[in-house]
Amino acid sequence: MSGHGGPKKTLATRAIQAAALLVTFGVLYGVTRVTPELESHLGTVTAIGFLLLAGTLMSELLETIGLPHLSGYLLAGIIGGPHILHLVDHHTVTELSPVNTLALSLIALAGGAELRLDTLRSVARGLAWATLIQSTFVLVCMAGVFLAIASFVPFTQGMNIKALIGVALLWGVLAVSRSPSACMGILSQTRAKGPVATFSLAFIMLSDVVVVILLATMLMLARPLITGSGGISLEDFTVLGHELLGSIAVGVTLGLGLAIYLRLVGHQLLLVLLAIGFGLSDTFSYIHVDSLLAFLAAGFVVANLSDQGPKLLHSIEQTGSVVFVVFFATAGAHLDIPLLRKLWPVAVALCASRAFFTVVACRISSRLAEDPVILKRWGWSSLVSQAGLALGLSVVIAKAFPSFGDGFRSLAIAAVALNEMIGPILFKFALDRAGETDRHEPVIRPSLPPAAAAE
Amino acid sequence: MNAIAFLLGLLVLAYLGSILVGGRAIRGFGLASGAEYLVLGFVLGPQVLSVVGRPLVETFQPVLLVGVSWLGLVLGVSYLRVGERRVPVPHMALGVGMSALVAACVSATVFFGASYFSPLPRDEVIAFAATAGIVCSETTRHSVRWVVERYGAKGPLADLAADTARASALFAALSFAVVNAWLSGAALQGISVSGRVLVSLGLGVVLGFTAALLLGREFRRDESWGILLGTSLLGTGAAARLNLSPISATFAMGLTLALVSRHRLDIKAMITPTEKPVLLPVLLLAGAYVNVKLPIPLLVLVAAALVAKVLARVFFGGLLSVTAKPVRGVGLEFGGSMLSCGALGLAVALALTVRHPGVVADTVLLLASMSILLGEWLGPGALRRALARAGEIKPEVPPAGAQPTLPSEA
Repeated sequence: MSGHGGPKKTLATRAIQAAALLVTFGVLYGVTRVTPELESHLGTVTAIGFLLLAGTLMSELLETIGLPHLSGYLLAGIIGGPHILHLVDHHTVTELSPVNTLALSLIALAGGAELRLDTLRSVARGLAWATLIQSTFVLVCMAGVFLAIASFVPFTQGMNIKALIGVALLWGVLAVSRSPSACMGILSQTRAKGPVATFSLAFIMLSDVVVVILLATMLMLARPLITGSGGISLEDFTVLGHELLGSIAVGVTLGLGLAIYLRLVGHQLLLVLLAIGFGLSDTFSYIHVDSLLAFLAAGFVVANLSDQGPKLLHSIEQTGSVVFVVFFATAGAHLDIPLLRKLWPVAVALCASRAFFTVVACRISSRLAEDPVILKRWGWSSLVSQAGLALGLSVVIAKAFPSFGDGFRSLAIAAVALNEMIGPILFKFALDRAGETDRHEPVIRPSLPPAAAAE
Repeated sequence: MNAIAFLLGLLVLAYLGSILVGGRAIRGFGLASGAEYLVLGFVLGPQVLSVVGRPLVETFQPVLLVGVSWLGLVLGVSYLRVGERRVPVPHMALGVGMSALVAACVSATVFFGASYFSPLPRDEVIAFAATAGIVCSETTRHSVRWVVERYGAKGPLADLAADTARASALFAALSFAVVNAWLSGAALQGISVSGRVLVSLGLGVVLGFTAALLLGREFRRDESWGILLGTSLLGTGAAARLNLSPISATFAMGLTLALVSRHRLDIKAMITPTEKPVLLPVLLLAGAYVNVKLPIPLLVLVAAALVAKVLARVFFGGLLSVTAKPVRGVGLEFGGSMLSCGALGLAVALALTVRHPGVVADTVLLLASMSILLGEWLGPGALRRALARAGEIKPEVPPAGAQPTLPSEA
């Protein structure tokens, strides 16, 4: 992702970008109309190129009206995706899942590497209160909202009140999940530094762990309510404990290995990151290790137990400049627009109330923690975004309760779609207003010396 | 072997390739063309050990397609210059002309041989002859560069060798666009062959212009990667979907960038170090694709094509010794030195294998692979002798231990 600011782009530059965007759409539009049926691997190659180019250009153009790059990537995916121009079809979007795996591992590594012990200490009090209030208050309030509008939710028709409470609690868990990728995406673009950026990053990374624990708890509580049979079993917690501790242990080991590599060798990091992203994610999944947590721990270890953090972050930023564009543009292509059109009244109500309770929870926790004013005002802004993690939770819930799982998942997709589009805009706006974004012109990397051009 | 393990193996190879480019650790390790990885792929592949099965190799077709197209882009971007020096137009014309003549000789040999001795239908004979000529027409700039740098060669013959090797890529890239357009399947049926050629090259030119415009006034490497990768992948995918030649499209894109971008040297400096990290996995995959279980007449034709290539190169080298001053007295050696081939010929053969699988594609891939091995064996040694006889190698320069093998250039 390109940095924020930069030398002011002229009208001519914007015109060129707009023309290039038209060429990009035009080329693929022409090709897909000439060859509507395609071999899947060709679709994948073309889609990556298209999403990368169109996402980059769209983000540059939306920058002129103050929108974050991430919105540009999403919009490029939405327009080119299966529901509007159909330049990238459903199958291709699914085929791009390895890119998502890679992007999520890079995001978690970078997230961990951004968390410094000293900065964490400085926001520890606020973080503890925020985690407590956001996780309980928002969960309970959103469960209440869900109950209140249950009569408008198609899949809850015919459920008794106990089952409704169970489903509402599960929706509450979904509501407290955040988007590490959106947060990292915006921070990477804006290079924001300050209390809001630090708090957001630390809170969202921590909330990832909290949400996993909450989900296990709520699944345990909701099961007897929904199914009406069986009692509460603590076995889920044993499994969860093993998974969390195992993930941290594996992550620490990986972090130490990475730190040693960075210190002793320190080059070809692109290939190392690719190998880690593709190879280890699969291995982690196989041995039931939470890859997001493991990579987070690895990044944290590199940043805090060695002096190699900046080098790791720089490499991730370079690799991510390409991978993140494709990741978010794919997410845009994945958005189910027809479903959103169908469920939008309920989804809007749920999203609006979630945003409202998030703001209220933030105000309460900030007051209790005596946070600085800037945090009281803007601390909530990063918590609106939702993306892959929330969708992942909805899949787990859908699998656990097949009787209403599909409906639950559809509503989750619709709500996440709204939060995914609005959240990043709010976060960037807040960072701009808080004065934490880097508005200085970045140093343009000089052209390579002529000697380097000799091959 | 599962796909992830194989992918990790390919990444290890890419890592090795990047070290070879960096030249920090094991400079001088390996062969100039990377032929050993081709052999490794063959040994691991379905024909020998079956560690890498055919279905697994086919899973990696997109990687292969992107890899060969990227090689086309690299060749296009670096086509006009050797280091910072522009390739003179006469040298360029000579390189292209020699490639065309060698291709014609090989194609004629294969065409007549296949017409009389192979069971192939007429269309396939023509396709076979044309692509055999194309894969034999290229001279890899790597082995030339290695000899020149390794022995500190300097002079008109060294320059001519480097320039003609570089220039030879144009013929292969353009003529494959023609052959591929002629072979083209379902897509663009209403368009003539020349129209298809124009579409494949035009796609590259349009995307090259687009990339050049987007790279704009200031050059930021992080952003440039996104633009270059995006345009090249879009070009590759679009050309492949239209059943056109992705290599030709990306070559045209690279050449356009080299011609019109004000950052041509920066782009070249960015992209050329990626060639080896891409080439080695491609070579391994290519090796796994090689099929030697072909009908005897086709195997004989492969041998005949190789003989025709050697004879043509040596003959035209001899002719050059009469007409070109730097080659005077060393024509045969110079002709032999142009036998080295590598990335482009193999990329063409692989593209054919991926897009038009069958016995012809298998034979062409085998020919490209054998051509690389033969070139590795004969080419660098011949160039070294030519340069020595032309007095462009200082006697004291060759380091001890340089004789037994022909290590890779960095």
